[in-house]
Parts: sequence; C-alpha cells; structure tokens
Amino acid sequence: MSALASIQPRLGWNRIRLSVTAKQALFGYAILLPTLAIIVIFRFLPMLQAFYISLNEYDLIRPPKFIGLENFIDLLRDPLFLNSARVSVAYVVLSCVPVWILSLGLAVLFNRQIVAKNLFRSASFMPVVMPAVVNAVVWTFMYHQDGVVNTILGWFDLDPIPWLRSSKWALWAIIIIGIWRATPYYMVIFLAGLQAIPHEYYEAAQIDGASAWRQFRHITLPLLKPTTLLVMVMSVIVAMKVFAVPLIMTGGGPADSTRVLPLFIYQTAFEFFKMGRAAAMSVFLFAAVMVFTLFQIRLFSHGEE
Amino acid sequence: MNERHIVETVFNNTLHKGGIEMKCRRLLPLVSIIVTMLVVLGPTLGPSQAAQPANPAFTFPAENIAIEVWWHEYGPFTAYVKELIEAYKKVRPNITINPTIASSTDMNQKLTVALAAGTGPDIMDADASYYVAYYTKGVLEPLNLDVFGVKSYEELAARYVSGGLASGTFDGKVYTLPYQGNSMSLFINNKLFTAAGLDPRKDAPKTWKDLMALCPKLKQVEGKRTVRKAFEFPYHSPRWQLQDLQPMTEQFGGKILSDDGKTAYLNSPETVKALTLWRDVTKECGDPKNTKNTASNPNQDFLDGFTVMWITGPWATPQVQASPIKNDFTVVGLPQVDPANPRTMVYGWAWGVNKNRPDKNKIVAWDFVKFMLAKPEEWLAKAGFVQPAKGVSETQVAKAFPFFDAHMKDVQTATWYIRSENVNEIAQAVGRAVDSVVYDGADPKAALDGAQAAVDRILKK
Repeated sequence: MSALASIQPRLGWNRIRLSVTAKQALFGYAILLPTLAIIVIFRFLPMLQAFYISLNEYDLIRPPKFIGLENFIDLLRDPLFLNSARVSVAYVVLSCVPVWILSLGLAVLFNRQIVAKNLFRSASFMPVVMPAVVNAVVWTFMYHQDGVVNTILGWFDLDPIPWLRSSKWALWAIIIIGIWRATPYYMVIFLAGLQAIPHEYYEAAQIDGASAWRQFRHITLPLLKPTTLLVMVMSVIVAMKVFAVPLIMTGGGPADSTRVLPLFIYQTAFEFFKMGRAAAMSVFLFAAVMVFTLFQIRLFSHGEE
Repeated sequence: MNERHIVETVFNNTLHKGGIEMKCRRLLPLVSIIVTMLVVLGPTLGPSQAAQPANPAFTFPAENIAIEVWWHEYGPFTAYVKELIEAYKKVRPNITINPTIASSTDMNQKLTVALAAGTGPDIMDADASYYVAYYTKGVLEPLNLDVFGVKSYEELAARYVSGGLASGTFDGKVYTLPYQGNSMSLFINNKLFTAAGLDPRKDAPKTWKDLMALCPKLKQVEGKRTVRKAFEFPYHSPRWQLQDLQPMTEQFGGKILSDDGKTAYLNSPETVKALTLWRDVTKECGDPKNTKNTASNPNQDFLDGFTVMWITGPWATPQVQASPIKNDFTVVGLPQVDPANPRTMVYGWAWGVNKNRPDKNKIVAWDFVKFMLAKPEEWLAKAGFVQPAKGVSETQVAKAFPFFDAHMKDVQTATWYIRSENVNEIAQAVGRAVDSVVYDGADPKAALDGAQAAVDRILKK
C-alpha cells in the first residue's frame, strides 16, 4: 500500500480527474478484462494460428514448412474435398430448411393455449439436452434392419431401409437426426420471439376481421424477423459444424456419402496428420460460414431499409 | 512362492545382475532344474526368452528411474500388462512404471500429439502399420542389442518366424517388437454349419470357390429380410477392408503397395480381380446393408449367430467363447484362390521406444519390453495374442489354444499389413472403392481407378 502511494505522485495519477461515467466504464472494462483475455488466448490466438498453419506443410512432429497458398490451391483440385464440401452443403440445406419450418410451427403451436402445454414443451426439448454421442448410439440401434424405424415402416408394408449402410440413405439418416435434435432448440428461440409480440396487434387484427393466416403473415412473420435471422444464422453455423453424429454412426461412409467437411477436417488432421491441409480446409469452412452469415444479415437488413 | 515369482527370480538372476553373477552361478543347477520343470509341467510356461544368456557388457541403471508406458485398451491385454508391471517391480525395484491407457482408435493421434509436444511416453504401443510414420519422423529408438543380449538384429530376428519382425525393421535395424502378429483366419459357427447338413471338419472351405458353393445352403432370407448370412466381409472400417483385400490381391499374384511404399497398385488387374471376387462372394453369401458390426464390436454379427463364417484374428477367440457359440466353432485357414500357393495377411501391434527420452530411460524401456515379451505363451493364454516367435506352437498353452495351428499356419504364409506413412489414406481409398462396388453397384475397375487416382495424389507429394 505504501509502495503504491509512493509511485502514484510520480506517475501523476493524483492529477488525473475522471468523471463518474468514465470511472464506471473503467471499472466495467476491468471486470471484463479477464474474460476478454481468456477469449483472446483460447479462441482468437488458436484461430490465427490455424490461419498460419494453413500456409504450411505440417505433420505435428516435424517442423512446419512454409508452402504459401499451395494447400488452398491443391484443395480446389481435390475431388475428395470438393465432395466433402458438397455433402456439407447438402446437409445444411436439407436439414436447416425443415428445422426453420418445424421449429416455427411448433413455437406457434406451443404459444397457444393447449392442454399440457408445459409438459409437451419440456418433452420436445429432450433431444437438445441429450449428448450428441448418446443420440448417435441410440439412433444407430433405431436405424438397424430390425430397429424401431424399420419396424414402424413395416406397419405400413414398407420394406426395411438400410439407413446407415447405403450411400443413398445414409445422409438422410444423419439429416433426420439433425432435424430431430435442432428443431426444439430453435423452437424455444422462436417461442421467446413470439411472446415478445404485443397481443394488442392480434386483437386489433381480429377486430378488423383478419384471418389467422393473415395475422401470421402480416403480424407474426414481420415482427419475428430479428428472431428468424438469429435462428437462420445459428442453425446454418451449427449445421456446417456437424461432426459427432457422422463420425460415430458412419465414419463418413458408405463411399464418402456422409463425409461432411468437419469430419474430413478431423480425419485429415488427426488420422492423416496433415495439419496444414486440415487448417486450410478450416479456413475454407470459416470463410463459407462468414460469407453466408453476412449474406443472410444483408438480406434481412435490406428489407428494413 | 508361485510359478511367476520363481520365473521372475530366474529372469532377475540370470539376465540382469551382472555384478552378482557368482551367487547366480551357485544357484544355477537348482534354477535350471526349476526352469525345466516349469517348462515341462507348467500350463502357462514355455520356451521363454528369459532363459537366454546374459550379455556381460550390459549394465542396468542403478538409480531410481520412472518410465511412462502407453498402450491401447483391450480388457485382457490391459490386465496382463498391469500384471507384468507388478512382476517387473519385483525384478527391478528401482524402476517405476507409469501406465497410460487409451482406446485403440485414439491411440495413434494421442501418441502423435504427445510426441509433437515432447510429452510422449518412453514406451509406445501402436498398430504396426503406423510405425513407419514414426520412423520417418525420427521419433523411434532402434532396439538396444545389449539389452537383448544379441550381437545383431539378424540374431534377434532368428528367434521369430520368417518375416516376424518385418513390420518394425527399417533400413536393416529393428525398431519395434510385435506383441501380437495376428493372422486373419476363417471362423465357422459349428452349430449353424451342421444345421445346414455340413460338417465343419470335412466341408470347411479351402478356396473362395468352395466358400461360395456353401453359401446357398447357409444363407437364409425371409421375404426381403436376410435372417442369416453365410459369410460376410467387413464394412465397419476401411482398415479392416484393406486387411481382407490385401491378401486377396496377393492370392491373384499382385500387391497393394510397393515395398518402398511409394507406388500403389490399386487398379492393377490383380486388385481388380480381387475386388470382383469380393463383390461376387458378397452377392452370393452376405448382405452388407444389414450388419451390427462396429469399430468397437467388429465381430458382432458372428457372435450373434447372424453370420455363419467370418474372417477375424485369434484375439477374437475369448469373445467367441464368451458368446452363445461357446466352444462350438472351428477355425480354418483364410480361403485361397490357389491353395497350393497360399497368401495370407498378418497385422498387429508392437512396442516401440521413444528416441527423445534420456539414454537411461531408453535402456530401462527396452529392458521392460524384453521382460514383457519374454513369455509369448502367456500372451496367448492371457490376451489371445499370437507373437510371431518361434517355438510358441510347441508350448502347452498353444496346444490348448483352440485351432492354434490354423492361426499359425496363416501367419507363416503371411505378409504384414502394408507399411506407409499414408496407410490411413490408402485404407480410406480402398474402403471407398469397396463401398461403391458393394453398395452402389459400381464397376470394380472404375472404383479402383478412382482409388488409385486418390492415392497417387497423396503419394506424389
């Protein structure tokens, strides 16, 4: 304490006059600093490191060798990478669009006065809290020839489908799990958005004789725009990063039909030990997500302008 | 004093305490008698390397040293290695051994990351096909001849069956020692075989043609559902797929990879013939869209009685015995294209020593590896692993082990699983080709052309 007191005059701290607001701001930043430091050290520095590694040939043990953009150029000519990117895009499109529709539909349903609403809300949220690994294992059994899914198909005289052992069906099997898992999560977000819409708008519309569809079309959807943007951006980012389920259920097969980009990145890094190449793929993935997100934000803000 | 303790005492006195050899010499007649009795009478003891003469030039560190040993998880294996660690403590009280166990699927990446970070273990355990990558990256220590009491690597190799150390020999030096060199042989469920009117001893297939001829009798289909498969190839892992395609290709006179690992022959006429045969066998005998086999339970369909014939290694024997099949099974050699010129495949795991550890640690590490591998018959009895060492067949354990001769016969006509820094990528390419032929009906030549192009891209770099 005394040491601090002795330096203060030399630094001129006693001459600094700060307003109450500035002091409050400084205090706030001081509290934020440890968290920011953690984010920078454990999030941003590794990301920067990944950018650097993407410019190198690196197998973890031997020192990295700088090769410039070679990894990126090579990836664009690599049919395996291009196939993997295609599988990822298919997964994103085919899982996200149903998720948006289903989660909004469920949110609208659960926003109404229905019997045992809270019970249904809680039950529908269960897939979200279940770990992805557990999901994958349970669904693997469910997809088996004699599993639940094929048994249900059998009730309708449909032949069993080789869900995980057919390059035609395996991606659909993964997509179904993605939809099942993501829908309740985004339903909750939509539900929060719906509950923020003042009820008076609907009362006024009802007085004017607007049908339920017109209320939904002209009140709910426009006022849910920020929530919808959030859901779309988040769901696309999450879907682009799908990893555990294909890793556990199919390992990317059969015949690469479920080798999504994150799985291919993982295999390239930790099975093939090509860290530079894997980092370059990660940069591509990052760029794709960033471009798509900016595009979505632009699309939504365009309407507001 | 139990048998193990007696043997440890023998090992301790005869091999590693050069300074007190006088005491040993006095005890030598007694020790010789005990060893002879144990070899003849003991159910788990055989021609052990512990009986090798000591190298007087070798001095074991006297100070306290701790070493790290990593190995992959497999229940019986883990239990046995822990037992060996306890036994070694009694032989070398100044040595502490710290174990780390990882799943077999994670081991390679954990090991690579640890070696990169400089925190790798003194003794590593890896699939033999991965060691070429560790060798080229300069993290493997060559085997210490003094510790093993031999003058040359050839002298050591002479203790093994022909090619037994090939997977861990680089530029004439031995770097790793296999604790399992597994054949891939054909397991038959006797009950299901007999139910089809077949005799497992007389009718067991010797060739792929024989096998295909049996399939109509063994395969059962109800409507569109397969309720029993006669035979199946693996589809749960590309590495397993390569395990089967490699010997099939060699049976046609080809090979998957050149000896230097720089050229692949995936679309050679022989490999195309092998994959065509694979497809035809699958159509006749199996149903690859219907399986419960997974990477962690690769033998599940056979254990469940869903597949009558299945190719796997001797390590599966305890699993089969613990399943409803119990001891009602037969093992015969891998089916051949030409039984007069048999070609099989051996794969396994091996111990290696980290080059980047202090010299004394490396001596201790090799000494412990030697101690662990001293009794191949115990590895067979306790873990079901076949070491490709000479003399194992003559032990009581081997004689009591179900169909040991069939396994060993396949080992003797085997080449090791391909060695390449890119082994996983090659296996992926092969797996992709197999999947596209079997699941999507692709032409074998076209599928293998794709695999060859992918592997060429990798090897060119």
